[in-house]
Amino acid sequence: MKPHHHPDIATLMAYSAGALSSAFSAVVSAHLSVCRTCRDRLRDTDAIGGQLLNQQEGMPLSPGAHEKLLARIQQYAPDAVPAPPETPARHDPDLLPAPLWPYFGRSYRALPWKWIGPGIHHIRARDVTDDHLMLLRVAPGRSLPMHTHGGNELTMILRGAYDDTLGHFAPGDMADLDCDTEHQPVTAPGVPCICVAATDAPLRFSGWLARMLQPMVRL
Amino acid sequence: MPLQAPQNTDDPAYWSAQVGRIGAQHDTDAFMCLFAHFGPRLQRYLTGMGVPPSQAEELVQEAMLRVWRRAAQFDPCRANVSTWLFRIARNLYIDSIRGEPHWLTVQDDLEMLDALPSEDGATSAESFADGRGLDRAIDDLPPQQARMIRMSYFEAKSHSEIARELNQPLGTVKSSLRRAFARLQGALRKAP
Repeated sequence: MKPHHHPDIATLMAYSAGALSSAFSAVVSAHLSVCRTCRDRLRDTDAIGGQLLNQQEGMPLSPGAHEKLLARIQQYAPDAVPAPPETPARHDPDLLPAPLWPYFGRSYRALPWKWIGPGIHHIRARDVTDDHLMLLRVAPGRSLPMHTHGGNELTMILRGAYDDTLGHFAPGDMADLDCDTEHQPVTAPGVPCICVAATDAPLRFSGWLARMLQPMVRL
Repeated sequence: MPLQAPQNTDDPAYWSAQVGRIGAQHDTDAFMCLFAHFGPRLQRYLTGMGVPPSQAEELVQEAMLRVWRRAAQFDPCRANVSTWLFRIARNLYIDSIRGEPHWLTVQDDLEMLDALPSEDGATSAESFADGRGLDRAIDDLPPQQARMIRMSYFEAKSHSEIARELNQPLGTVKSSLRRAFARLQGALRKAP
């Protein structure tokens, strides 16, 4: 899996700074777990944080902090260098990306999908209190209602694919959208499109049918 | 008696060598020298993020303990010591202050991934910021960009919060941060 669409660098900077909500962080982590390019870029954004840390004037620690630390390290030997990880177990196609396990479990087969509209199922993440995190499954060859975003939306494709004015989005790809984007994704034929999405405001659908569906869907 | 921090502290190679000594020889002097320099900076960072001072000190100790235990895993080709410490402190902050129980595991797993050869055989890019070059690049940022960077990294403000506070559209905040990154990027990599 080599993604072609990546998160905005501003989003990676926020992730690096610890400034993303847990819902958005989960989606970025899932993308990072399949994208070496972004892991490299994240090291750059972390380096900015490291340099800022180093540039600052320090703040004095309480007297005794030194002795306390010295006493503490006597109790711990440094960890042994872990053996280099073995070649990863052959990729199990039923496994979700590891960063999503705490929210949705590990197995695609075991996902408890809920019907929310023709051809559309979803699952809300458990234990996410800030923003919204959900899985969406859209039947193949279906066009979603035209919608804009009241705020930010971060989506990663897990299975299947969709097309919109921004391009073709396949597994691993990420759509990093804000309120200026209006789009109407059309899922590819063949298999359902499954994606994980974080949003910080409800979607706004345009068109009378979409508006009618909105209260029912409440994405 | 606390050790004095040495003079050549803006040379990343100096700190990498210190961590190397901790990893290879469990060198207590090198470790305390690292603490003398970075301990107060970590304290400043964490209190800036809103952690009460006594709790921040506890986290600084925790961060340093991680440095002690994981020094042998530090790879100077892939990061500066300051970057490594920033990651450790930020991860502990997200874990214990924000109370996200999965964060540390996810971050450890992500770091392990880079130790593996990738499916296409590519190795991850070498990242080795020259501290002085990056310092200059940060100092040269236009004030508005520098301010947004600091609000993000030192106060963990979201883009929307920054937009509200500075009375700017969200899109402007994002594009300013993108421009800031583009300006800093040149100083982030060792010249090939």
